Amino acid sequence: MSRPAWRLSWWLIRAQFMTRRTATALSMLAIALGVALGYAIHLINTAALADFSQAMKSVQGEPDAVLAAKDNAGRVPLALINEIARDPAVAIVAPVIETRVRVDRTADYAADRTADHAAGRAAAPVKLIGLDIFSAAAVMPKLLPRQDSSGAGMFEDGVHASPALLSRLQLKVGAGVTLTRGDARWRTRIVGDLPAARPDDLLLVADIAWVQARFGPPDAVSEGRLRLMPGTRLASWLETWAGRLPAGLTLRAAADDTQRVSNISRAYRVNLNVLALVALLTGAFLVFATQLTAVAQRSTQFALLGVLGLSPRMRLLQVLFEGLAIGMPGAALGLALGYGLALAFTRVMGGDLGGGFFSGSTPVIEARLLPSLGFFALGCAASLAGALYPAWLNRVQPLAQALRTGFAQRPPAVHGLDARPRRSVLIAIALLALAALGLTRLPAFYELPLAGYGAIALVLVLGIAAAPPLTQIVFGAFARRALSAPQRVAVQNIVQAPLMAQVAASGLIVSFALTVSMVTMVSSFRLAVDQWLDAVLPAPLYVRSKGMPLPQELLAALEQGAAPFARIERTAHGALSLDPQRPAVVLLVRQMQRADAAARLPFTGPVVAVAADRVPVWISEPMQELYRLAPGRTLRLPLLGREVDTVIGGVWRDYSRQFGAVVIASDDYIALGGQFEVSDLALWPRRGEEAAAKAWLAAHAAGYGLDIAESSEIRAVSLSIFDKSFAVTYALEAAAMLIGLFGLAVTLAASVWLRARELATLSALGFDRAMLTRAVMFEGALIAGIGLGLGLACGVAIGAILTHVVNPQAFHWRMELTVPWLQVLLGAALTLVAGVIASRFAARLATRLPAAQVLASAQ
Amino acid sequence: MLTVTHLSKRHPNAARAVFDELAFTVAAGEIVALVGESGVGKSTLLNCIAGLEPADRGAILIGREARDIARLDEAARAALRAASIGFVFQAFHVLPTLTVAQNIAVPLLLSGIAPGEHRARIEALLARVGLAGFAQRWPPSLSGGELQRVAIARALVHRPALILADEPTGNLDPRTADEVLALLLERVREEHASALIVTHSQHVAQRCDRILTLTPEGLQ
Repeated sequence: MSRPAWRLSWWLIRAQFMTRRTATALSMLAIALGVALGYAIHLINTAALADFSQAMKSVQGEPDAVLAAKDNAGRVPLALINEIARDPAVAIVAPVIETRVRVDRTADYAADRTADHAAGRAAAPVKLIGLDIFSAAAVMPKLLPRQDSSGAGMFEDGVHASPALLSRLQLKVGAGVTLTRGDARWRTRIVGDLPAARPDDLLLVADIAWVQARFGPPDAVSEGRLRLMPGTRLASWLETWAGRLPAGLTLRAAADDTQRVSNISRAYRVNLNVLALVALLTGAFLVFATQLTAVAQRSTQFALLGVLGLSPRMRLLQVLFEGLAIGMPGAALGLALGYGLALAFTRVMGGDLGGGFFSGSTPVIEARLLPSLGFFALGCAASLAGALYPAWLNRVQPLAQALRTGFAQRPPAVHGLDARPRRSVLIAIALLALAALGLTRLPAFYELPLAGYGAIALVLVLGIAAAPPLTQIVFGAFARRALSAPQRVAVQNIVQAPLMAQVAASGLIVSFALTVSMVTMVSSFRLAVDQWLDAVLPAPLYVRSKGMPLPQELLAALEQGAAPFARIERTAHGALSLDPQRPAVVLLVRQMQRADAAARLPFTGPVVAVAADRVPVWISEPMQELYRLAPGRTLRLPLLGREVDTVIGGVWRDYSRQFGAVVIASDDYIALGGQFEVSDLALWPRRGEEAAAKAWLAAHAAGYGLDIAESSEIRAVSLSIFDKSFAVTYALEAAAMLIGLFGLAVTLAASVWLRARELATLSALGFDRAMLTRAVMFEGALIAGIGLGLGLACGVAIGAILTHVVNPQAFHWRMELTVPWLQVLLGAALTLVAGVIASRFAARLATRLPAAQVLASAQ
Repeated sequence: MLTVTHLSKRHPNAARAVFDELAFTVAAGEIVALVGESGVGKSTLLNCIAGLEPADRGAILIGREARDIARLDEAARAALRAASIGFVFQAFHVLPTLTVAQNIAVPLLLSGIAPGEHRARIEALLARVGLAGFAQRWPPSLSGGELQRVAIARALVHRPALILADEPTGNLDPRTADEVLALLLERVREEHASALIVTHSQHVAQRCDRILTLTPEGLQ
């Protein structure tokens, strides 16, 4: 494009912005909002992932491969470590014992526990890492300790604490501490710190021999972290060892761990990004409405420019440039807003966006050029997409006609249609519906519900595409009835100007569809969670430790008759690694009888009877989805250092553990040789002794850092977390509805402006202000009605896709579809009223038209 | 400057042709009036000559290079209009969101005339149409006569070979119409351009060099 052409283009853009300030500013803001949300989510997630990965590396070091048990109760024999160390391809093996212990500040731990409890410093479990200093120096340098001035060595009895832990416990190097895990207790002292630990790492490091002596396991370690000789191909080396490992052990590439961290939160991140895209879509829609009305209003001007020699290509490009001129500052503003939002969010809330994957992290937000450019381009692309159809309409406007009579409502290709929709349009709509239905039948791609998202987009397109034929069918029939003069004017205008009606209605279709779908999905989910909580919280009281066995003192006291409980159910937690690419599955060892299973878990289908000589397990719904399992099938589990064949007795609903859980009866687990280390308790106080039971627990559990809660509290907290995690969707729904109503008002106003001569003629023929107002408001109500009707239909369809396709594929949760009709219809009625009020703005414009002046002017 | 031969046009589904086998010439420097009753096809003929409506048959040769606008594609027709034709309309069609100077500059920008010449040309033309000092004014503040003077300046600023005017005084009072017509004819002659002026006014037609009358039977 030549410089003079740029100059003309710039004049027209500037003129457009000056004359349509509000619409342009709102379009820019909508684009900015979409970009800001997407960019902030990206920045927070990237920072949280990097932070998580760094935290993992700081503890795990940077090995090439990790040898570990698939079951977290399993162990790696030292003999195997030694055998691998002798492999010429292995440079070094660092044996590690990792466990969790409770730390009490003095050697007199009982007194300390009471004092800490009184001071509100109940000890939380921390990670204790036992390592061999020589191999650790090569593989895990960040865990190397600094010793105190007394010269106490790494090999002496003592632990090294991270600065964060020292600060939290208000201790200094040299202080005495007691470390407790279950029955095992180690009275020792802090002999140094860990200068290279990250600021938020709560860690203890000691010589592996000391840890092994105090907490076990004898002749075994938790993991072996390996470095290979330079030039060794990791994949082929892993393959050579895969067949030689004992059952229950796994040798994995360390890079898998980083990938697994990313996989954990991927579906959640994609879902958040789709929400941001919805915001961007509403921005693109506003650009569409703004540019279409701008093209309609300036059709005579563009026709004149065409007559004077502006090429058709330039008429198309001009509208696209105007779209870009909205998108570029909008996207730039969005980047700034997104960066600010990410900074503010991480300062206040840390790195977790609500999924719970990164809670407790404090990531550093870093803006990188390439992703920033990507989001900038996305904002521009959304704006361009919004301007595309108006630009094409501007390109095909017949110049002579547009110069004489203004905007042609239908492009030349569809001129000459009667009021009935063409068969080809109806066939296209039917094909779209079939395509959407087909997409809902497709499985997830890369474990993401991409086809489901595609189906949602198609349903929205379908809703907008169905607006003109539906308008023509409904109002074509309506127009043949006896109507008052204002009503006839309104109906005739809708029937004869379906494009403007489509633009006006499409905002409401999209926004109401999104609102109905989100309300439906959230309502279905909340009801399902509510019912699920009823099933999984049968006891009045719960006690939970944090990844450690419950203290023996407490368990022993519970056994005594003085404890005021009628019934106690014990549960132990473990983790089983079934696939190195996926997070571990939670193992729940529960005190229950096989026959009780149906009554004790919220099963989604029939419970299979398992032969007495087989081991039954009951898997959660996400586990069934992730590993494609079914009741009655044999499931080989890596339990207690070996592979154990179990039978799936049933599938139970679980909205808590997204990556799967498996329940095994404690008797079966013990029979397999496992140790039942209880970590959770469900307690039923004796009748009439509820208050005494709580007091008993408070007295016996004080200072252990345990969670004690009533079921009503857990239920309230769970539902509150649920509501908080969906709070952002309510804000988006409100923004979408405002944008939809704004689109209706702007388009109706543009329609009035375009029909100025017609309305002025009506005024001259005897339409008074009240009649004109009624005509325009009636038109607004009819368009809003069509928009809301289609929006409702699309919303229920999208709600069903979200509930039955997106949720199971992304999060592996299933639930029944519950449409909250009262809420939805009330929302529709309120929106209709708001739509009529919004159309009053256009009606006022109609009544203020200087009729005489309009009629006198040829244009 | 304009040669029309065997030009025929029929609207879709119409019983008879709008015009058939029309042929006429407007010589260089000549000003021709095109008159005829309403609905006879004067505007359609003007649209065909400007390349805004397709003719069914015939040739329309425009400019010093005698290019046939009927055989060009849409983009080339736009380029030919930008380079060789100036337009004056009954409804003025001055862009309300551009200043007077910017309105007049549009044909200069579209025809690719060097930006260095723009200011001098615009100021000179504004002076000659009696609007000196109006360059930065906005169209909504101008009277009908002033707007048509802006339109005349815009039609002439890029020195086109042909001016097409459609009822240029139709929206003006008699006295202003007379002034504007005089100005248009004077400036067209001064620029050595040719002009085809569609009009209902005998007064306007009489002041042109030649009158063509379009009837249902053809040109007379």
